[in-house]
Order: sequence, then structure tokens, then C-alpha cells
Amino acid sequence: MNKEEFLNGLGNALAGLPQDEVNERIAFYGEMIDDHIEEGASESDAVAAIGSVEEIASQIIAEIPITKIVKERIKPKRSLRAWEIILIILGFPLWFPLVVAAFAVLLSLYIVLWSLVISLWAVEISLWASAPACIAASVVGFVHGNIFFGLMLLGCGLFIAGISIFLFFGCVAATKGTVTLTKKIALGIKSMFIKKES
Amino acid sequence: MDIQLKRGLLDVCVLAAIKNEDSYGYKIIKDMKPYIELSESTLYTILKRLEIANMLTVRTAEHDGRLRKYYRITDAGLRRIEEFKSEWKEVVSIYRFVVKEDSHE
Repeated sequence: MNKEEFLNGLGNALAGLPQDEVNERIAFYGEMIDDHIEEGASESDAVAAIGSVEEIASQIIAEIPITKIVKERIKPKRSLRAWEIILIILGFPLWFPLVVAAFAVLLSLYIVLWSLVISLWAVEISLWASAPACIAASVVGFVHGNIFFGLMLLGCGLFIAGISIFLFFGCVAATKGTVTLTKKIALGIKSMFIKKES
Repeated sequence: MDIQLKRGLLDVCVLAAIKNEDSYGYKIIKDMKPYIELSESTLYTILKRLEIANMLTVRTAEHDGRLRKYYRITDAGLRRIEEFKSEWKEVVSIYRFVVKEDSHE
């Protein structure tokens, strides 16, 4: 990839950001590439030393606060005409509840996801608590001379303890997965606003 | 390394890289390389943050028929380096304490 391709690619990947900021970043990376070349690197080596466009773009997007991106995105390209403003105001009772509803639906889906994780933990904790309870009850069974009752409870207790150990790893994995997913969703929402409209 | 800690350290590193003479992006990375690896994107963020904090100023100058941005440290930037030096004594004493706790085990 040559310098021009790299800088054009970066410009496209960041198209949703404020224009001055995009220009400033392109100038910065352009200068870096030129300096690599001045030190004796070939153009393609210089570009490769900087990294891939996707990698750099996603790092930049991850660093920029989402409010800034959305603000830039919803900023109209030209000033609104009078009838458009009137339409927006008159349409308010219609579009506002729709926006709120859409947001609420997405939020509730996200909450459902976390409640699944929380319920998994609840199962884990209850298993973890009931294992010693079963074992304690089995001791009571043995003391009272009821061997079969005691053995059965002891078996149950050990079985539950085993399952709870397994489930613990599942719970940890589910929690980590959800956190990773949250980060991905945040990045996804940001890039939705940033990618150039095609 | 902890992100907050690293961020603070990198800020001071970049300030130190421009402390004695004005420098530009490529040179800053090259000068820091023996001590700490820094990617271009990270440097951009740091320079921006330091500029907003008035710890450095930027000027664009022509070099070899193209434009290059040079960064100059301000008094606030120099003060930050001094601050870091005195803070560091504290960090070193914390480090000694942590290491001492380890050796008791």
C-alpha cells in the first residue's frame, strides 16, 4: 500500500468525524510516513510501519467520546429550511415517543442480557450454599442411625458441590463475555456513526 | 501496565523528549524507543492532550519541501517534569514497601 492509498483509506474510515480533526490526523500520519521514508525506508515499508488503516481507525474511534461523534453526525450539512423546522416541531409528538421507545427496547434487551448473567450467578450461589447444607444434613442422618438417608444426602451434597465448581467457571466466562460484548456494542454504535454513507 | 499509570508516565516521557530542543513526531518516537515503545496513534493522543493542557505549543515549519509540526515545551510542561520527579520519590518508596512485603513471604 502506498502513502496516498493509506491516507485516503484513513480519511474514509474516519469520515464521520469533524473535518478539521480528520485533516489533522491525516497530516500527522502523512508526516510520519514521510519521515520514515527520509530515514531510508521504502514507501510501502513506511506505511507498513505505521500499521493497518482498520487498526488505527478503530483505536481512534474507541478514544473519541461518543457524544462528539453523534453531535457531528446529527449536525445538518446545510441549515434547515423553515418548513423542515416546522415539520420537526409538529412531528414531535410522533417522533419523540418513537425514539424513546426504540431506545427503551434496546436498553431492555441489554438489561435482559445482564439478568441472564445475574440469574446464572444466583443459581451458582444457591448450589454453593446448598452443598454444605446437604452434607451437614447427612451428618445428622448418620448420627440418628439412618445410614441410607445420610448416604443419599452426602452423595447429593458432593454432587451439587461438583456442579457448582463447574458452573463457577461458566459464570465467570458469561460475565467476561457480556463485558466484551458491551465494549463491542459501544464500538459498533460509534462506527455506525462514523462510517461513510455508501 | 495499569492504563492510568502508563498514561501519566507517557505524558512525562513525551515532555522529556522535547525538553531540551523542539522535536517532531517521528523523532519523539525514535528518541523514546530505547526506553519505551510508543505507537503513532498513541503519540497523537498524548500530544493533543498536552497541547490542550498548555504543556506544549505546536508550530508548523517547512522541512525539505513539505510541512512538519514541531512541538515546544512550555513552562507548565517543565513544571510537570519537576513535579513528576518529586512524585517519583514517593512512588519509589511505595515500591520499596511492596517489595519488602514480598520478601517476608
